Amino acid sequence: MADESVGERNRSNAFVVTARKRTLQKVAKTAGEGMLFSVAFFVAVIVLFIFYFVARDAIPFFQIRGFSEFFTSTNWYPADEPGEFGALAIIYGSLMVTLGSAMIAVPMGVAAAICLSDILPFSIRQYAKPVIEMLAAIPSVAFGFFALVVLAPLMQDHGGPMLMWGWWILVSPFLLLSVIVIADLLTANIKDEKRRQQRHWMLLIALGLFSIFLLFKVGSVLNGIQILTGTNALNVSIILSFMALPTIVSVSEDALQAVGRDIREGSYALGATRAETIIKTILPAASSGILAAVILGIMRALGETMVVWMASGNSSHIPEPWFNYLEAIRTLTATIAGDMGEADQVTGSARFHVLFAMGLLLLIISFISNLVSERIVVRQRKILSGQ
Amino acid sequence: MLMITDVRNTSESVPLQKTTREIYLPPQRSTITGGGTAHIAAREFSVYYGEFEAVKKVSADILSKYVTAIIGPSGCGKSTFLRAINRMNDLIPSCHTTGALLFDGEDIYGKFTDEVLLRKKVGMVFQKPNPFPKSIFDNIAYGPRLHGVNDKKKLMEIVERSLRKAAIWDEVCDRLDKNALGLSGGQQQRLCVARTLAVEPEVLLLDEPTSALDPKATAKIEDLIQELRGSYTIMIVTHNMQQASRVSDSTMFFYEGILVEHAPTAQLFVNPKDPMTEDYITGRFS
Amino acid sequence: MNIGTRKILDRSFTAVGIGSIVVMALALMIVVVPIVYNGIGAVFFTGTVEHRKMLHAEFRRGDSQYLSSEVASSNRYRAKVYDMLTGFEAELETMAPEKKAEYQAKYSQVRTALQALLGPLPGDPEPMLTRFKYGQTRWEKAEEKLHDLLYESKWDNTNPNVMGKEYFVSRAIGFEGTSLARLFPYVKDNLENMLLPEFTFYWGFITDSSVDSHFFGGIWPEIQGTFFLAIGAMLFAFPLGVVAAVYFTEYAKPGFLNSMLRSANSTLAGVPSIVFGMFGLAFFINTMKVSESKSVIAGALTLAIMILPTIIRAAEEAILAVPKTYREASLSLGSTKWNTIATVILPAALPGILTGGVISLGRAAGETAPIIFTAAVSVGSAIGLADVFSSPTPALSWNIYNLASEHEAATQIRHVQYGMVLALVTIVLLLNLSAIVLRARISKKLKG
Repeated sequence: MADESVGERNRSNAFVVTARKRTLQKVAKTAGEGMLFSVAFFVAVIVLFIFYFVARDAIPFFQIRGFSEFFTSTNWYPADEPGEFGALAIIYGSLMVTLGSAMIAVPMGVAAAICLSDILPFSIRQYAKPVIEMLAAIPSVAFGFFALVVLAPLMQDHGGPMLMWGWWILVSPFLLLSVIVIADLLTANIKDEKRRQQRHWMLLIALGLFSIFLLFKVGSVLNGIQILTGTNALNVSIILSFMALPTIVSVSEDALQAVGRDIREGSYALGATRAETIIKTILPAASSGILAAVILGIMRALGETMVVWMASGNSSHIPEPWFNYLEAIRTLTATIAGDMGEADQVTGSARFHVLFAMGLLLLIISFISNLVSERIVVRQRKILSGQ
Repeated sequence: MLMITDVRNTSESVPLQKTTREIYLPPQRSTITGGGTAHIAAREFSVYYGEFEAVKKVSADILSKYVTAIIGPSGCGKSTFLRAINRMNDLIPSCHTTGALLFDGEDIYGKFTDEVLLRKKVGMVFQKPNPFPKSIFDNIAYGPRLHGVNDKKKLMEIVERSLRKAAIWDEVCDRLDKNALGLSGGQQQRLCVARTLAVEPEVLLLDEPTSALDPKATAKIEDLIQELRGSYTIMIVTHNMQQASRVSDSTMFFYEGILVEHAPTAQLFVNPKDPMTEDYITGRFS
Repeated sequence: MNIGTRKILDRSFTAVGIGSIVVMALALMIVVVPIVYNGIGAVFFTGTVEHRKMLHAEFRRGDSQYLSSEVASSNRYRAKVYDMLTGFEAELETMAPEKKAEYQAKYSQVRTALQALLGPLPGDPEPMLTRFKYGQTRWEKAEEKLHDLLYESKWDNTNPNVMGKEYFVSRAIGFEGTSLARLFPYVKDNLENMLLPEFTFYWGFITDSSVDSHFFGGIWPEIQGTFFLAIGAMLFAFPLGVVAAVYFTEYAKPGFLNSMLRSANSTLAGVPSIVFGMFGLAFFINTMKVSESKSVIAGALTLAIMILPTIIRAAEEAILAVPKTYREASLSLGSTKWNTIATVILPAALPGILTGGVISLGRAAGETAPIIFTAAVSVGSAIGLADVFSSPTPALSWNIYNLASEHEAATQIRHVQYGMVLALVTIVLLLNLSAIVLRARISKKLKG
C-alpha cells in the first residue's frame, strides 16, 4: 500500500522523474562534459605534438653530429660537403638582438605601464590603450619591411648624426636629473643654510659643465661613426623593441593595477610624492608581475622571425668587438626561415635536421620562460591576496 | 485575509525518518487557524559549504499560499536556506546537504529529483534586479520558450498575463521590444517577478528583493507581494523588519544557521518567545 | 633630499612616463606614415602613356581610341629621338675605329637608358619579358630614368680610407661634337610630351593579378590568399576555442589536470611563430599528408593552432565578464545548465568573444612565419575555392617579404611593396579598430 502510494506520488509530482530518466540525464551530462573536456584537452595534445614533432626531426642531427659542434663552433657552412654546423654565432646573434631590444623596451615599457596605471587620467588612458593595441597588431612583416626599406638606408646614410641625436635626446634629460639629485644629496648634510646654498650652486655648475662636456664629447665621437650596413643588430633591436613593448606594457599594467588602492593611499598619507610612492611601494609589490611581463616581452623578441630575417643582415659571425651592435648578425629564427627551403627534406640530411635542432632550442627556451613567468604571476597573485 | 495564530513546533510533532532520503510525508494539516497545508517542509535540514555548516538542522513547515518572511543578521544562513529550496546552491561546488527538505512531500535533494523541473516550480527573484540584456518581451518569454511554448500568440498572452500580475503591464506595454536594461531599478525588479511568474511556479522565493531599490520602488514591490499572496507560496528574505512585519504571515528568525524561532508574524514581533529574537527585533544587535 | 628636489624628481618621473607613451605613439606614426604615404602611391600616382598602353594590352582596359591618339601624339615627339639615334649610328660608321669603339660603348649605355625610359626602340627585337615591353609607367620613375640618361654614375675611390663616393658626369659632355649631343636636352625638354603624365587612379591594383612577377598589375591573388588563410584558420580555431573556453569557465574543476591544461594553453601562446611553421611542415604535410606539399589547408591549420590560445583567452574573459546574476536568473527559471550557456551566457559574451576573434583574424592575416613552409608561394595566380586542399597560394605577408628581400629587382618595384604593406596593415588595423569600437560599445551597453 505504502509502496504504491510512493510510486503514484512520483508520477504525479512534476519535479521527480523516474530512475531511468535520471540515469539517462546523467549519462548525457557526462557525455557532454566529456566532449567539452576533449576539446580543451586538444590544446594540451597540440603542445605535446609540437614538442614531439620538432624533437623527432631534431634528434637525428645530434645523433649524426653530436652536441659540441652545434653549441661551441661558429663555423656555419651547412651547404658545404661535408657541412659545418656551428651555431654559436647564430645563438649569439639571437641573444644579442633580444638583449638589445630588451634594453630599449623594458625601461620604456615599464615607464609607460606606470604612466598608464598611475599617472594618466582615465580620459587620456582611453586613447593611449588603442595606440598600444595598434602597435601590437601591426604584422611583423610590415615592421620588417619598414626596417629594411626605411630604417636601414637611413642608418647607412646618416648613421653618425642619428646616433648623436639619439644620444643627446635620450641621455641629456637623465644627465640633467642626476646633476640636480647628486648636487642635492652631496649638500644635504651641511647644517648652515647659507653655506649649503653656496655649495649647492657651485656643485650644480661644476657638474653641469662636466655633463655638457660629456654630452658633446660622446656626441662628436658618435657623429664620426660610419655605419657600414643599415641591416644590423641595432636596427633589428630597435624594431623588435617596438614589437615587445605592447606585451610588456599591458602585462605590467595588469600587475600594477593588481596592487590595491589602499597601499597607494597609505604611502600618500605619509607624505610621499607620487614618484616615491610608485618607486618605493608599488613597484616592489608589482615587481614579480613586471618580471613576468619582461620575460614575455623578451620571448616575443627572441621568437620573432620576419624582422630579423629581413633586416639583420643574416651574417653568421660574432661581431667584432662582441658588443658591436652596428654589424650584421644572424639569428636562430631567421636561419630556420631562410634555410628550410634549401635543405633537402626527403633524404633527411643534417642540414634539414639542424634547423629542427634550432627550433627545439627555441621551443625549450620559450617553454621554460613561460613556465617561469606563469609561476611568478601566480605567486604574485597569492601574495597580494594575502595567502 | 487569513490570520495565523499559531505555528506548531514541527520538529517535535513529526519524527525524522533518517533511513532514506526518498521519504514521503503526507501534507501536514496545520494547526493554524484557517487550515493551511505545509508546502515545503524541512526536517533537520543542514547545508554545508565544505566543512562549514551554514544552515544547522532546520526543521520547519512553510505553509501553502502564505507569505513567510525570513529575518536574521547577515551571514545567518537565511539566504542559503532560501537558495536551498530551488537548489541554486548547486552552483557552489563545495556545497552539500543533509537531512530532508521536502516540496509537496517529495525530497528536493532526492536521487530522482530533476533540479531543472524543480526550479520551474520554485521560482526565484534575486537581490539585485537581473534582467537579461534582451527585450522586455524576450525576458518574459524566456522561461515559457525553455519549456516548449513557441507559439507567438500564446507567448504574447503569457507575457501580458505575467506583466499584469506583476503590476508592470501599464508601464511597459508600449515598449515590449525595448531592452529591459533601460528600465528603472524598481521596474526591473518587477519585471524579474513577472519573468518568474511566466513559468507558472507554485513557490516564489524572494531574496532581499528590495535591498537595491529606493523606498518608492520598495513600496510597489511590497504591494505586489500583497497581491500575489493567496496565489503563490511566497518566501521572502529581508533585512528590513518593518518589511517583514508588513508583508508576511509568518516569520522565521535565523541566527548563525539555527532557526531560532518560527511563529506567526504578529506573534513573533509582539511577543517573541526567544530572548535572542527579542534582542534582534528590538535592535540590540543586527 | 629637500622638498624642491623631490618635486623635480616627481615631475621628471611623470615626464618619463608620459615620454614613453609619446615615444610609442611616435613609433606607431613613424612606421605607419611612410607605409601609408608610399602605399597610397601604388593606387594614386602620375601615370604615363606607357601605363595606359600596358593596361590596354594586359587587362583590356581603357579607351582604345583615346589611347591611340595619345600614342600618336607621343610618337611624334619620340620620332625625333629615334631619328637622332639612326643619325648617330650612321655617324658612328664614319668614325675612326678607336673612336668608334669608345663611342660604341657609351652609345649602348644611352640606348639602354632610353629603352628603360620609353620602351623598346625601333628595330629592337620583341622583348621576352613583359617588363621590357613598356617604358616607365610611373612619372616619378621616369624622372629617375631621365637622370640615368642624362648623367653617368661614377665612383670616386681615390681615398682608400673612405668609402667610395658616387658622383655624376653629364653624358652630353661625353658626346660633345657629335650629332647625339642634341638628344639629351631634347629628351629633357620633351619628356612630358613623350610620356604624357596624367594623374592616375589605378583601382586595379587591388583587383588585378600581377604581370611579370609584380612589375605591373595588382595584388589580388595575394589579398585573396591572405583572406583564405585567415578565414580558414578561423573556421578551425574559433569553434574549438569557444568550446574550450566554455569548458574552462563553466565545467573545469580546480585540480592538477586543469592547471596542466592551462599551462598547455599559455605554452602554446608562447611558442615562437616559426616553430609553428616547422610543426606544420613536420606534422600536417610530412606526417598527416593533408596535402602533397604546401597548401592553403595546411597553412590554415597551422595558423589555427597559433591563434587558438588567443581565442580561448579572449572567450574565457568574455564569458567570465557575464554577470553571475544572468546565470542565476536563467537557472531559477528552470533552464538546464547547457541551455543557460547557449541562450544566456554565450549571447551575452558574444561581443567579447567576437572581439577576440576579430583580433585573432588580424593576427592570422598578418603572420608570415607559420605559412612560409606550409602554404605560401611567391608567384601565382589567384586560386579557386576548390584548390585550397591541394595548392599553395600567394599571400600578402609572404610576398611583402619576398618582393622586398628576394625579388630580382626589389628596388624597381618599391611602390608595389608599399602597396602590399599598406593593404595588409589596413586589413589588420581595420580589424583591430572594429574590435576596439566593438569593445567600447559593449562596455557602454553594460553600463546601461
